Amino acid sequence: MTTPHSSHWLQPAFDDPVLDAQVSFRAALAALAEPGLTQSMARAHALGDLAPATYGLCLAFLDSDTPLWLAPRFDTPLIRANLAFHCGCPIVAEREIALFALLDESELADLSDFDNGSERYPDQSCTLLIQLADLHAGAPQRWRGPGIKDVRSVNLPLPASFWQQRQARSAFPRGLDCFFAAGGDVIGLPRSTRVLIETEEAA
Amino acid sequence: MNDHDPNIAARQRWMGVLARAGDALDAHEAALKDSDYQLIRSPEVGMTLVRGRMGGTGSAFNLGEMTVTRCVVRLADGRTGYSYLAGRDKRRAELAALADAHLQGSDQARWLSDLIEPLARQQREQRLARAAQTATTQVEFFTLVRGED
Repeated sequence: MTTPHSSHWLQPAFDDPVLDAQVSFRAALAALAEPGLTQSMARAHALGDLAPATYGLCLAFLDSDTPLWLAPRFDTPLIRANLAFHCGCPIVAEREIALFALLDESELADLSDFDNGSERYPDQSCTLLIQLADLHAGAPQRWRGPGIKDVRSVNLPLPASFWQQRQARSAFPRGLDCFFAAGGDVIGLPRSTRVLIETEEAA
Repeated sequence: MNDHDPNIAARQRWMGVLARAGDALDAHEAALKDSDYQLIRSPEVGMTLVRGRMGGTGSAFNLGEMTVTRCVVRLADGRTGYSYLAGRDKRRAELAALADAHLQGSDQARWLSDLIEPLARQQREQRLARAAQTATTQVEFFTLVRGED
């Protein structure tokens, strides 16, 4: 899995491994608990193409029990070596067996192969970690659901195909949970959130 | 997998010497830190399970847990050094990792003769002295008369 010289790619991860991992995990929980609210996730350094928030999510979530699927853009020796070293997570080629997936905006048109859990174990679905260039550059949407009082306006710049895919994979309690990361910020989108585009109910 | 690779055997030997060195490492602190480096994994203390085997044929059992300190450093030229030490001495874990990194470089012969060989000699002498000390307490039983016959 690691080549003999992969250690040349290694870089430091968190400055304070214990505290930074706890703070990052807490921010990720808060992001899912209050969908659409921006949470700060800037404890990690950037790693190649991975923004600090994306890498922070990886360091907080991944360990040897969590197979990870990497989008081609992130499948570099640098990222592979550092994830293998700091997280110890297996990196898999099949989307079906991944518990986490690291995606960029070009991968959002087809989510059909990711595991959305089972009726008995909906928690075993694949969690999508999606890195975007910006979290607030899209058209306004209204989000409703658990964790949102009344309605919340969110401006994620996502293609319509993503919302169609999310709808297609959603059969509550089964579904896909997403984190959107850009720079040092993260926004959570759990499967329970209903997204309304203009007046039409989309999800 | 690589049990017979001489490079790996040599590295296992010096990592073992460094792990047993204890306070003898302190004398080399200035030399070891005399170059730029960064901590990839700063020294951290954890537990590891020690397993034992009773006799040659017995199945392994869990003897108990011990504290271990590990550290990974990277020198400016990209070489990485690893260390695993028994106990909780973070400073010496860093020194041992630095030594491992230096030993993989072009100056390997110098580091071997300056650092590893004296430490190995010292450890061997300590082991022999302890064995000799223990040997004086050895009691040998002779059966003079067994009362038979």
